[in-house]
Amino acid sequence: MTETIPRESPPEGERRGPRLPQILGPWETLVLLWRRLRRMSTALLLLFTLAVASLIATFIPQEPVIPTTVAQWRTGAAGPGETISQVFDALDLYDVFGSTWFAVLTGLLFTSLTGCLIPRFRAFARVVRRPPGPGRNFDRLTHRVILPSALPPEAALDALTPVLRRYRTRRLGPEQTGSGHPQLAVERGHWREGGSLLFHVAFYVLLLGVIVAEGFGFTGQVNLVEGAPFTDTRVAYDLAEPGRWFGLEDHAGTRLELVDFDVQYFDDLTPKLYRSRVRLLDDSGTAEPTDITVNHPLTADGLKVYQMRFGMAPRIMVRSGETVILDEQVMFSEEQGGIWRGTAKVATGEPQMVLDMVFLPDARLQRDSTGEEQIMNGGPRPENPVLFADLWVGELGLERPLPARDFTRSGGELVNTVMVREGETVPLAGQELDLQLSFPQLTMWSGFQISHAPGRWLLVLASVLLLAGLVPSLYSYRRRIWAEARLVGEGSEVVLAGVALQRKQEFAGEFARLAGRTADRLTVQEEDR
Amino acid sequence: MVDEALAQTSNTLFLTAFGAYVLAFVAAFARLALTSVSREHGIAETRRAAQAGFVVAALTGAGLLAHVASIATRGFASGRPPWMNMYEYSSAMALVAVGAGVAIVWRRREYRNLLGFVLAAAVLMMGSALLLYVEAAPVQPALDSWWRLVHVTMISFSSSVLMVGFAIAALYLVKETAERRVAERSGRFGAGSVGAAQLPPELVDETRAVEGLVGDTAVAASSEASLASPLEQRRALSPTPFVAAPAVAAFALALVLGTPLLQALGYALALGVLGLATWWAVPFLPAAAQLDRLAFGINAFAYPLFTLAVIMGAMWAEVAWGRYWGWDPKETSSFVTWVLYAGYFHARATAGWRGRRAAWLNVIAYASLLVTYYVVNLFVVGLHSYAGVN
Ligand code: HEM
Repeated sequence: MTETIPRESPPEGERRGPRLPQILGPWETLVLLWRRLRRMSTALLLLFTLAVASLIATFIPQEPVIPTTVAQWRTGAAGPGETISQVFDALDLYDVFGSTWFAVLTGLLFTSLTGCLIPRFRAFARVVRRPPGPGRNFDRLTHRVILPSALPPEAALDALTPVLRRYRTRRLGPEQTGSGHPQLAVERGHWREGGSLLFHVAFYVLLLGVIVAEGFGFTGQVNLVEGAPFTDTRVAYDLAEPGRWFGLEDHAGTRLELVDFDVQYFDDLTPKLYRSRVRLLDDSGTAEPTDITVNHPLTADGLKVYQMRFGMAPRIMVRSGETVILDEQVMFSEEQGGIWRGTAKVATGEPQMVLDMVFLPDARLQRDSTGEEQIMNGGPRPENPVLFADLWVGELGLERPLPARDFTRSGGELVNTVMVREGETVPLAGQELDLQLSFPQLTMWSGFQISHAPGRWLLVLASVLLLAGLVPSLYSYRRRIWAEARLVGEGSEVVLAGVALQRKQEFAGEFARLAGRTADRLTVQEEDR
Repeated sequence: MVDEALAQTSNTLFLTAFGAYVLAFVAAFARLALTSVSREHGIAETRRAAQAGFVVAALTGAGLLAHVASIATRGFASGRPPWMNMYEYSSAMALVAVGAGVAIVWRRREYRNLLGFVLAAAVLMMGSALLLYVEAAPVQPALDSWWRLVHVTMISFSSSVLMVGFAIAALYLVKETAERRVAERSGRFGAGSVGAAQLPPELVDETRAVEGLVGDTAVAASSEASLASPLEQRRALSPTPFVAAPAVAAFALALVLGTPLLQALGYALALGVLGLATWWAVPFLPAAAQLDRLAFGINAFAYPLFTLAVIMGAMWAEVAWGRYWGWDPKETSSFVTWVLYAGYFHARATAGWRGRRAAWLNVIAYASLLVTYYVVNLFVVGLHSYAGVN
């Protein structure tokens, strides 16, 4: 009995059939498209498009990543100009990965992937399930040796089994082979295709993981001053980026408090270590504070709290007579030269008042190149903290819900500029306003990213599958070997023949080594008898 | 915190290694020049060529030792792993590339003519390291993470191996052109050393069954074409583009980067010489089919590592910034590289794309890696921009 290998028709896309009719019905069109999508060259084209799309997104600033630069490009303040910018906008090039066309491309890739994988899975299942078949026409194989042996055929094949143990082996009786001689049919290397399939399947897991992570996740940013509490609700965030299916009610309401923040510097004054001490506020209110540093986020209630930015937050007090009208830890942001700038709304009624402040943590007098004395900042350590405050009074536009720093200068008047050191109180404005400014204490603020990240295990699983598939698909290769033992007198003649389906160049050496080991094994067994 | 004397020693050792590689490169080409090539005997190593081979080995070995010592002392000087900024990556990548080249030649002697090219690639990498030099210094807190260490180490390692793969693919393109032209001249069309497999008929079916969907794997027959006359291959190619293309490219790039004119001319000259050497060495290159396989082997080794490195990067981003992937320019651009290499592997399995086109994809994919490394690191603003050079 001979086993015939079922014939597989060539892939649909490559079949040269009769000419297609001129006009295709919707079904035919669909079938045609499907076949197109299944072609390897289509996959290649789609991958190439994906690469080009990502390349564009590398060089055109992306709105979700750096919105400020995109805004500058839109107005023409930077980048290639307003007109080109409009073209970019029309094509969604400022948000490639959020665009509809990118979603379509992803859809096509996955359709093509599915189209490729179905027939590959079928063929693979067929090939794997079928045990190695008998070999015929050995004289047509390039890799073939004949080894004489004193052992009778069946004993010779028994002897060979351990040599071929790394292969998948099947023993065939004389009635099963076309030649009438017993054979050992062996093969290896199914991991090549199996690995490749696993690798490609991993992309579905990856897609699922991304959908879960993006759709049901949440990230938000918040800056807190030392001593400030925080509750996980949508309004509490300075910036919130909820996933599509993450609703207001999905916030867990976790409460925490920034106990304190500290930072250490290298000798060159770059930050070496910064750390927020955060206490989780549960109902007992007794939890110990935990440290959050860069690379060491805090995990609580499915939320992760990451250390991001930090800055100076001088506590500012303004008194009118004996009444405290402002007592705030104002968050300053760093500007060039280690100088910090901050703004506080002092009064929003009549008249409106704003303090526009500059803060130097380490103020020093230095001569500049022209020999004039200038106040400069020595470094980020608060060696000599000095605050300069401009008091603006008038129609400052504070009725609009904007941050203090966006107050309207043109509507007001700069009434006074004062300098105040940490711990001091200075008169700010006399006469009817009667204001005193104090700077009782320098505190810090700390910026956090807080995220709720479901479905991470899917992404990890996808990564594991990707690699677990990729390595064997690149490293294993199919080989088929046959050993046929023919009766010759008392002993036998073992024909060892093989075929490589991939990496054919390496096969000559492999086969020679295998033949060597086979010959050795036969000799040893003969001697043992 | 930083040990100045050690840092200085490291710099000296770096220059020593650089010099040793340059000399080894020269010796490698001298060895080729001393190798006899004739129509009758093909390529045969003469006694003097063998002596030159010893010199190459000694210089490369000395360079490697100095290079390892340079990187180690820099690590001790700054008290952290010494591949954390662009100068340091470039140096480490050159080391790995030379190491990979030596490992390949060690395993397969027939590739020893390629060592000179690997050395050239390493020298170029080290040259760029010199341009990106920064003093040894400790790292910022965000970068002080185990994930980052693994990520950066693996990215650098796999990129340097991919650099060797790229060099071989480029040589393949040269050699393949030469072989094809020689074959065309001698009237044999479509020769070249990449051909179809000879399989027994009953296996052709099964191969189809599995691989018809997968595509056949590129197969090479023995390279008769390259044995015909090695020297004819050189004659089949004009040296002009070999000199002009790299020289002009280097000159333009240097000017764009604001290099002084004289220095830019120097780079152009160096690359022109390298191009000329490549042209001259065409007969000595292994057969195109062999180069194609070698490049594939190298890429197949590096690609899973590169994939793992990108995954590690995502893990680190998750720990440091609270998101695993944000399409930051650096992330996007390494994604481009990853996809292009995936395209390369696909191309090798696609009818009509095997051979030249796949090799071009390899070249493009590596170019995108260089873009990630130089252009994105240095000129595009993103979260990763710390890597810079200031
Ligand atoms: C989602 C995008 C895809 C990526 C990133 C990708 C990536 C890869 C990579 C890296 C390889 C080489 C490693 C291996 O053999 O497993 C590969 C191989 C392969 N891919 Fe894909 N692929 C994608 C989609 C597709 C599609 C749509 C098809 C079908 C047309 C396809 C068919 C194949 C085939 C047949 C191989 C095996 C090639 C060989 O045996 O060397 N892939 N793919």
